[in-house]
Amino acid sequence: MIPPGIKRGTAELVVLSMLQGGALHGYEIARRIEQETNGSLRFTLAALYPMLYRLEKQRWIRGAWETGPNGRRRRCYRLTPAGKLKISPLRKDWSALFAALHRLAGVSNA
Amino acid sequence: MPDWLELVRLRLTGLALEKDDLAQVVEELAGHLDDQYQSLLDKGISEQTATKCVLQQVMDWGELKSKIESSRLKEPTMNRRVSQFWFPAFLTILLAMSFLMIVEALGFEPWISSAWGGPQGTVPVAVVYLPWLITLPFIGALGSYLSGRAGAPSWAVFASVMFPAVPYLAFFIIGLPTAVVLDGHVAHNIAISAFLVGFGVWVVLPAIALLAGGLPVHYFS
Repeated sequence: MIPPGIKRGTAELVVLSMLQGGALHGYEIARRIEQETNGSLRFTLAALYPMLYRLEKQRWIRGAWETGPNGRRRRCYRLTPAGKLKISPLRKDWSALFAALHRLAGVSNA
Repeated sequence: MPDWLELVRLRLTGLALEKDDLAQVVEELAGHLDDQYQSLLDKGISEQTATKCVLQQVMDWGELKSKIESSRLKEPTMNRRVSQFWFPAFLTILLAMSFLMIVEALGFEPWISSAWGGPQGTVPVAVVYLPWLITLPFIGALGSYLSGRAGAPSWAVFASVMFPAVPYLAFFIIGLPTAVVLDGHVAHNIAISAFLVGFGVWVVLPAIALLAGGLPVHYFS
């Protein structure tokens, strides 16, 4: 059974996956998602930050202010142990959705 | 160049967050808009067009305010502390004490050593319940897992893991000296070496055993 909220779950999976490589601030998360999907996925500020705050509230990520070499403060997010544990089930849900779509409509990742 | 901080502050007026929280949100969002603006300028886009593109990031500031409010509404701090620290800490101490009682009830003989010689003929004795010590890494690992799963910061994980050693630490640094001073029945000639041996066996060894289980779970899970 594919859980409800899979669309939101997929967006969360994208962000959590981005943070697997290390701490990133919001703009960098959005930039990398766009870059690594060749522009197919774009997170606007309005979509990204409510999700980051929600993930933080769920304790899957943790934000902390860090000062860069230019003296500018940025809030960097990193995965918590709970967030690391969450990635695998999210990936499974997404794979189930993709397999279902593939069976129904012949959608493939080719 | 637009004053992004002021712009975001104005657009988010009325956002129902605490003052500090609101200031952080404003600074973070303004920083994002500024990063994007600079990126567009670097690509050779004019200031006017860049500003327009950046503002298209948020089509409806009212909706954004509402989403931020619902996503940042804090659950009571007490709930978070309970799940991140108090629950794992009390579970580890309960398990550690229960296992010690079980080990004693089952009649396991402690390992008793007089290897550390004290001054003036006193011979401090170390009493070590090895079966109990062997259980402590598992208890430390459990505390670390539960605390980490609740998203606890490292200090809370560390404190949860070490919590079973706290009563013994309190005994040696507060209880025993107080008893020596106040209670006439406690021998006043307790050698410092005996104190150190007891401290090592009942505080340091359990702490090491707890950390041996807790730290790998925290850093490698």
